[in-house]
Amino acid sequence: MAAGGPVQAALQVAQALETILSGCVGPEGRQVLCTKPTGEVLLSRDGGRLLAALHLEHPLARVMVACVSSHLRKTGDGAKTFIIFLCHLLRGLHAATDKEKDSLISKHSHTQGRHWKTCCRWKFISQALLRFQTQVLDRVVDQCLSRHFLSIFSSSTKGRRLCRSSFQLLLEAYFGGRVGRNNHSFISQLMCDYFFQCMACESGCEEVSELVDDCFVELNIGVTGLPVSDSRILAGLVLHRDFSVYCPADGDIRIAFVTETIQPLFSSSGSEFILNSEAQFQTSQFWIMERTKAIMKSLQSQNVKLLLSSVKQPDLVIYYAGLNGISVVECLSSEEMSLIQRIIGLSPFVLPQASSQYEISSAALVKFCKPLILRSKRYVHLGLISTCSFIPHCMVLCAPVQGLVEQHEGALHGAFKMLRQLFKDLDLSYTTQTSGQNYTSSPLIYKNRESNQLPEIVSGSIQRPPQGTVEKNEGELAKTHTYLKVHSNLVVPSVGSETCISCSTPKVIPADTHQTDETRRCLSANKTRIIDDRDSFIESDPTTESTAENTRVEASYENLSITKMAGKGSMLPVRCKPLEMGASQSYSFSSIPAGCVLPVGGNFEILLHYYLLNYVKKCQQSEAAMVGMIIANALLGIPRILYKSRKGNRSFPQVYVRALHVLQTNQPMGSSQTGLESVSGKYQLLTSVLHCLAKILTIDLVISIKRQPQEIYDQESEEEL
Amino acid sequence: MSRLEAKKPSLCKSEPLTSERVRATLLVLKGIVASCYGPSGRLKQLHNGLGGSVCTTSQSSALLANLSVTHPILKILTTSVQNHVSCFSDCGLFTAILCCNLIENVQRLDLTPTTLIKLNKHLLNLCTSYLQSEVCGCRIPVDFSSTQILLCLVRSVLTSKPACMLTRKEVDHISTLILRAFLLTIPENAGDHISLGSSIIVPLKGQRVVDSTVLPGILIELSEIRLMKILPVKKSDSLKVALFRVSLSGDLSDTGEGSVVVSYGVSLENAVLDQLLNLGRQLVSDHVDLVLCQKVIHPSLKQFLGVHRVLAIDRVGAALMEPLSKVTGTQPIGSLGSISPSSYGSVKDLCTAKFGFKWFLHLIPNEATVCSLLLCNRNGTAWDELKLTCQTALHVLQLTIKEPCVLLGGGCTETHLAAYIRHKTFSDPESILKGSGCTSTELQLITEAFCTALESLTGSLEHDGGEILTDMKYGHFWSVQADSPSDVNWPDLLTRCGCGLHNSREELSWSFLRTARHPFAPRPCLPHEAVGSANNLTLDCFTAKLSGLQVAVETANLILDLSYVIEDKN
Repeated sequence: MAAGGPVQAALQVAQALETILSGCVGPEGRQVLCTKPTGEVLLSRDGGRLLAALHLEHPLARVMVACVSSHLRKTGDGAKTFIIFLCHLLRGLHAATDKEKDSLISKHSHTQGRHWKTCCRWKFISQALLRFQTQVLDRVVDQCLSRHFLSIFSSSTKGRRLCRSSFQLLLEAYFGGRVGRNNHSFISQLMCDYFFQCMACESGCEEVSELVDDCFVELNIGVTGLPVSDSRILAGLVLHRDFSVYCPADGDIRIAFVTETIQPLFSSSGSEFILNSEAQFQTSQFWIMERTKAIMKSLQSQNVKLLLSSVKQPDLVIYYAGLNGISVVECLSSEEMSLIQRIIGLSPFVLPQASSQYEISSAALVKFCKPLILRSKRYVHLGLISTCSFIPHCMVLCAPVQGLVEQHEGALHGAFKMLRQLFKDLDLSYTTQTSGQNYTSSPLIYKNRESNQLPEIVSGSIQRPPQGTVEKNEGELAKTHTYLKVHSNLVVPSVGSETCISCSTPKVIPADTHQTDETRRCLSANKTRIIDDRDSFIESDPTTESTAENTRVEASYENLSITKMAGKGSMLPVRCKPLEMGASQSYSFSSIPAGCVLPVGGNFEILLHYYLLNYVKKCQQSEAAMVGMIIANALLGIPRILYKSRKGNRSFPQVYVRALHVLQTNQPMGSSQTGLESVSGKYQLLTSVLHCLAKILTIDLVISIKRQPQEIYDQESEEEL
Repeated sequence: MSRLEAKKPSLCKSEPLTSERVRATLLVLKGIVASCYGPSGRLKQLHNGLGGSVCTTSQSSALLANLSVTHPILKILTTSVQNHVSCFSDCGLFTAILCCNLIENVQRLDLTPTTLIKLNKHLLNLCTSYLQSEVCGCRIPVDFSSTQILLCLVRSVLTSKPACMLTRKEVDHISTLILRAFLLTIPENAGDHISLGSSIIVPLKGQRVVDSTVLPGILIELSEIRLMKILPVKKSDSLKVALFRVSLSGDLSDTGEGSVVVSYGVSLENAVLDQLLNLGRQLVSDHVDLVLCQKVIHPSLKQFLGVHRVLAIDRVGAALMEPLSKVTGTQPIGSLGSISPSSYGSVKDLCTAKFGFKWFLHLIPNEATVCSLLLCNRNGTAWDELKLTCQTALHVLQLTIKEPCVLLGGGCTETHLAAYIRHKTFSDPESILKGSGCTSTELQLITEAFCTALESLTGSLEHDGGEILTDMKYGHFWSVQADSPSDVNWPDLLTRCGCGLHNSREELSWSFLRTARHPFAPRPCLPHEAVGSANNLTLDCFTAKLSGLQVAVETANLILDLSYVIEDKN
């Protein structure tokens, strides 16, 4: 590992994972079959699940999997994209630093020293990545990207109203990547219906998504052996157990909760019951019986028809319940109890110590309470009357095999997680200044960039920056150069400052020339300003675009743009309104507002790529430019996989060029894809990946220790010696 | 405490279906299931080398439950079939063979999985909507005013399970018994919500099959013949019954989490026994004639009840509790103290009966939907098979009540369906291809694969090397025996089609199933009078077959969609 540094090792790992996961990406993705050690089989397209099933041994792989799963816990989406994006970032880094390394090797022959220097440089890069994310990415998303945002809330009324058709598009795209090809439209329709049926009022979508996410297991029933198309929604709540006693009852039914046995016991825990005579025993038994009888009688007199218990009740209680016409459901899990309490707002019925009264304080009603038989298994079906904005409904998920049921459950649960995130604003951090000397020069760049950006946004067109600013930029180059040197000194205090500078200078210099090169090109382009706007930055894109591709793209470019413009008209008017709303909101709050979506098919990636390139062109900081470049190029990896199987007009280069043209001519973005995806989810994914990469880069040495495996999980923190 | 061990990394394989090993194992599985299919199917004997019981069967449920499958792909296939069988009892082999055939046929085509799956799904939708439509030519509505169709249905189930070893006469006997048992479970005066009763199958091995019988009420096996002597005297027109859920053995069950301290000289056993005897006195004074207990009755209490001419039967078991409570109308008692009079129930009469070597107590109900099917067969393995078959038949009848129609059996539905699909995709490919992004060549290829899968499924009905044909009018299935003389014109050898609806006297033209033929629109079957007059039809359960078809195609799609297999080696 010492020779290649963390990047090369991580790249190898990430590439291996990418090959497995990229087969499952997008609507064309295929299934993976996993076997469990117990012999069960599981079908999955869920990246997180697959990564977990691989039981990877490689330490870096485990770091990646840990990062993915923590991301999934938060957002419920994007495991596959995570790995692909990470892989592309690593590739970019590897390629960008390859040349420098050669020069490095020739200079420093002492291997040990070289190792430390590379590590130190990686650490430097990793910090640059994080800084880039908070300072640049957040702003780019907020200022540039937000213009393209659509919303799944229809803006017609004052309050937010969930737009059903957009919602459907969102779900369809989500399930397209998660469940089997022939089921995704069915499942997304099911989920859409479910969501709208559960929602008591239009504004309740946030609460519903939260509740369903929390209590997902209790709200669905898996049935194997039936075709998927038999899946359906049931009104009411289904408990995963049978009645202990069932007494049919009509009309409104009052229910009572208990968390302890109704029949009093001889002794409670920690106490002793002393029996002195046989008569005493018999009287106490008699008393127990009478008291149980009295409690059940009083429940009946209060019209309670259903008793829900979290513990097993003795036979005596069941008997008297049956005699009094009270149905009993026992052994409810704490999750089920809390869900029911959440829905109907009822607290458990506490048995009074004194035997005088057994009044139930809170009254809850159910519309019906009946047994439900699914595949010869019995369940309890309750028509709870909700007191919150969630109207209880259950999903019956059918599939031929358990593995498929689990896949659908997982996908649905993930969808609710995703919705939960979507209905929240995502705060961006770019307005807040992080303290520390590292950032001393950032206001300077800031101002400068602001002057560049503002006219762009106001006029709404993407133009070359005016000549003046470019000159100013040039003037500032020297400043940034020196700043960088100082800066690198500050970052790595533990290592000798001399080596640090010497290792960071080779990096700064080529980047610097790149920068000047860029500026020069800008100037020249300004003179012949019509044509080569796009050309310049495709050429400056160092990693991917081959020249051959470039020329081909060039050739087809002219006629394509025309046809595209004509075809765009239909999509546009529907989306204009929410678009503006989203944009204006984001200005005031500096966050990604709730409900922001973009069309699927790599739109987010291409847009961000475009704006990052724009940024890079104007950027004076060489490290930021490099990081921006790498991120921008890595972003394209995802649309590239999505369009892999497409041919001709819909192949990736074509789509890419079209999108760029549309952006440059400032037309609204259209999309051939029907489907939407959450912007905040995408952006969170991007930041998670950057954090993960930063984490990987800071590791300089992996030490294997012989200890209990559960402690190995703490590895990441122990490694930094 | 479990020992913690580091997890071993999993094994990851790509494109599992292209591997030769997987194909070979799929072929083996197909060979096993296909050879079992139909009335002339071959039997499989399952045993392990260490001894134990031997299972002779041709049913998918018994076969797949005992087969140990290791490859994950096969596991998906078999569990999918098993899940189907546990839902519908019938058509397990159908599902398994169709799924294997589909995978085999479709995989040969050089098409992308997306296209395969999409078009398979389209064809499946064509099939299901056709089968559910009114114009469907292989569906017969069930007329509940006569038992003929139901009897045919039951008989078809019985004859398709050769491991039951039944003669034709025995098949007739058992199928009438099954139908009678089923009819006994239907409540006489039904409200809006009908709930069927249950038929309890009582084993009696080593007897002749024709000794099987069906009785209303419940049979409880008696180990002691001496109980016969103390049969309660019938005082009125019915006998009073008490049914206990709680143990009457005098044990002190739940005393709570704390501790109970008993002083010296205090005997709890006596106290509890006193309580039990008090209970006995109450039962006697309440004029209870029969005491049934799920658990154990204390011998003293038993004796006390015996003295007072109350019949006490314990260890009834949890399985019989629900039918007993239903038959007698009792509320299972959970108290040793005061018993509410409302929890007693009654039976019309009580008698002992001897079947084979066993003595039974027969509870004859006043009016109930529970009956006992006393099932006999010569030996254990054949009895097990017969029991499974009877359960299947009863379940099929229940399903038929829910969805009152049946499908033609004997392979005719499959060939008819294949003819319909061929015709449909040939005559109107645009409506199927609309919006799918596939070409018509692709559709033709998949249609051919799909229809061949259906047709070779019917080919599995023929195990003796005979020829299989289809007619060009109704699209039904016909077979010719293998040992027929070669000089005879083969259409003369045909007598009836697979389901028995058509005979060869009609002007029909035939074609071999294996040869290519021009697509034609299969005619719907004869008008209903003709169906009524035809007896001895071979019929299949509609719901089970429809779901089997769907499950087979869905499972095949699932397997075709696999790009990786990750095997956990822990």
